[in-house]
Amino acid sequence: MMGSANSGDLSSEMEVDAFRRLFPLRFHERHLLESIRPDARMLGKARDTTLALGAVASADGSALAKIGCTTMLAAIKMEVMTPTAESPDMGCIAIDFHMPPICSPTVRPGRPAEAAPVVSKQLSDTILSSGMINLKDLSLVRGKASWMAYLDIYCLDADGALFDAALLSAVAAFSNLQIPIVALNDDGRVVVVSEENEGGKLKKEPVNKEKRKLKLSSIPFSLTCILHKNYILADPTAEEESIMETLVTVVLNLSGQLVSLYKPGGQFLAYTSAIQDCMALTRQRVKELKKILDEAICDMEMD
Amino acid sequence: MLVQRMEIDRADGRTPNQLRKLACSRNILNRAHGSASWSQGETKVLAAVYGPKAGTKKNENPEKACIEVIWKPKTGQIGKEEKEYEMVLKRTLQNMCLLTVHPNTTTSIIIQVVNDDGALLPCAINAACAALVDAGIPLKHLAVAICCCLAESGRVILDPNKTEEQRLKAFVYLVFPNSIQSVLPEGALQVGGEPYEHGIITSVTHGLMSVDEYFFCLERGRAASAKLSDFLRRSLQLQVPSESSKTG
Amino acid sequence: MSGTAPATYSPSPTMQNKKRAPIFTDVDWVRPDGRGFRQCRGAFLRTGAANAASGSAYAEFGNTKVIVSVFGPRESKKAMMYSDIGRLNCNVSYTTFSTPIRGQGSDNKEFSSMLHKALEGAIILDSFPKTTVDVFALVLESGGSDLPVVVSCASLALADAGIMMYDVVASVSVSCLGKNLVIDPITEEESYQDGSMMITCMPSRNEVTQLTVTGEWSTPKIHEAMELCLDACSKLGDIMRSCLKEAASASQE
Repeated sequence: MMGSANSGDLSSEMEVDAFRRLFPLRFHERHLLESIRPDARMLGKARDTTLALGAVASADGSALAKIGCTTMLAAIKMEVMTPTAESPDMGCIAIDFHMPPICSPTVRPGRPAEAAPVVSKQLSDTILSSGMINLKDLSLVRGKASWMAYLDIYCLDADGALFDAALLSAVAAFSNLQIPIVALNDDGRVVVVSEENEGGKLKKEPVNKEKRKLKLSSIPFSLTCILHKNYILADPTAEEESIMETLVTVVLNLSGQLVSLYKPGGQFLAYTSAIQDCMALTRQRVKELKKILDEAICDMEMD
Repeated sequence: MLVQRMEIDRADGRTPNQLRKLACSRNILNRAHGSASWSQGETKVLAAVYGPKAGTKKNENPEKACIEVIWKPKTGQIGKEEKEYEMVLKRTLQNMCLLTVHPNTTTSIIIQVVNDDGALLPCAINAACAALVDAGIPLKHLAVAICCCLAESGRVILDPNKTEEQRLKAFVYLVFPNSIQSVLPEGALQVGGEPYEHGIITSVTHGLMSVDEYFFCLERGRAASAKLSDFLRRSLQLQVPSESSKTG
Repeated sequence: MSGTAPATYSPSPTMQNKKRAPIFTDVDWVRPDGRGFRQCRGAFLRTGAANAASGSAYAEFGNTKVIVSVFGPRESKKAMMYSDIGRLNCNVSYTTFSTPIRGQGSDNKEFSSMLHKALEGAIILDSFPKTTVDVFALVLESGGSDLPVVVSCASLALADAGIMMYDVVASVSVSCLGKNLVIDPITEEESYQDGSMMITCMPSRNEVTQLTVTGEWSTPKIHEAMELCLDACSKLGDIMRSCLKEAASASQE
């Protein structure tokens, strides 16, 4: 460790970029003292967020979410399964999160990223426990057939707050979901009723004419914050996450319930006041994200 | 009257705040540098510590010690859930360890699940903590982990077993620092009006709850962590004399 | 949880069971998307798709959507002997939703090695000795002619990363359907084809880096197809260059 006075002199002579690489923590702390972050954001401010629905033509529902540079592409494919005996009138949702090598210099092909299964598990827990989707809505024929919704989320660009962006894209993909109209054929299999022969000879009665859209109630949204000393930094970038390691992710749904409060270790302890501050920031963010989602749905319906 | 009704709720006849029987033994494996077994009722976990070994893993900061956690389930392959446990455990232990004492080294912690009857992750964290002490890894403080379960009525029960965990609407895993016995005057270790040991190292929640219910869990968890702290300290102290006589 | 997922099937009819559509046997038929036989799909190209990479590009040809990231030159991960020239490492993978039936994609070894061979000849490997350049491609949606799109997009991403090349690599494929040659085929046409040809070339040097021919071909047909491909490649090369110029002038402002 160098004396602080000594390196303080050094910093004034050094170029900003070199200082940033050599003393990343001090570079960031110097910003925090001024209540600003290197990308000119305030501490509690999230990055610009955009949503585009229906990005994947081959899927039944899809969305592209961007928070700053972090980009997520989520797509849902609907398949048919035989429901289990315990829950004959329920469908199923299978969620997988992928980090292909294109998204980050640290991911190599053949070796899956460490973070991917963890985010995947968190997403499943959050989406299934939030009560957003009633699994009974995914039933087709009681005891015979129900929907299995495969939700795959691909990280196209990883720049911090992966879970937040992944959850946003997942929620948006579900709100974009258009369930295909299907009928039972003679073999007892479920087949799509195609648009073409709908007008003319329609032998089979569709089983799900009214259920083209899923009803989403109490949608969950999340915000990840960094705790660093007394500072709370909302929506961190990858650089900030690598330097200041204490992360808190709060997930709230639209009915104001807590879906998850996730703080996996880290250097700093979270006291009640910090937890309350994180929740307040999340409440604000939920409002922002709700607006962004509503606007994206509106844009989609206009087209 | 009310108290009685609450007691009947738990299948094993415990009161809501009562923990299961705790047991901890250290130095149970010969080849490991440190080891411990920890059990809470029927849940039992073995932890072994190897290290510090030279060098860090790829992409890890060589200026700090690297901590590696390997989770061995009771049966079968390691899945997403175990990967998450590994990550939570690793970050929790990073909080406890003095990482700058042995830079550019790796310490491996192997967690073997012996039996899972609820509150598995807290049990593993407690076991890992005892094993780290046994291996003599430099630590900032100890940590205690606790599981709080939330019933539909908003009541909290502590240290649930598997059936309670599955039946009730939500549960929270909480990890707090061990309460510190120091020579400093009362209140010297306060952080923003709260005692040091009330800070959350780790929080993992499952299921829906209201914000107030979370804080209620937090309060109950903190109260229980004091008891756990005492037990941990007692069981770590017990074995010290026998160890020094062995080396001497 | 996901390990015990029950067996599922897609309700949409599968294509393999269908017989070859009769229209393709006639001399006069219309392509499914209404294009002329010698008309390519509209191409959309953009550089700088992923910020985390040294260079990246996104390409959209009809329903085929591809994103390519380039990392490096950086330290070689595999323990390698000293080498005077750089190493090129390529990987092509598919998203699970890229094909009509879920989960047919994932890693594609054959495409990875073909992408490597197509690019190798164009890159000045002497310019980054001892190091590796990684080219990773992800096919977001597969709509036919996937590999040619991946190759063109990869060369754009390499240029975006500032890797020295002799020229951009443009790639186009042609399918032989009965008596007809169709350029830039879509998935449906590819599934009925009698033969296919893919050319990757450096248009301004008039050099071919890779030529792949599969299926049944007569010699005059091969000549005709090559002419067709090379012509389309040079046009695609122009589009790629203008895309790069646009990005460069935008960053200067």
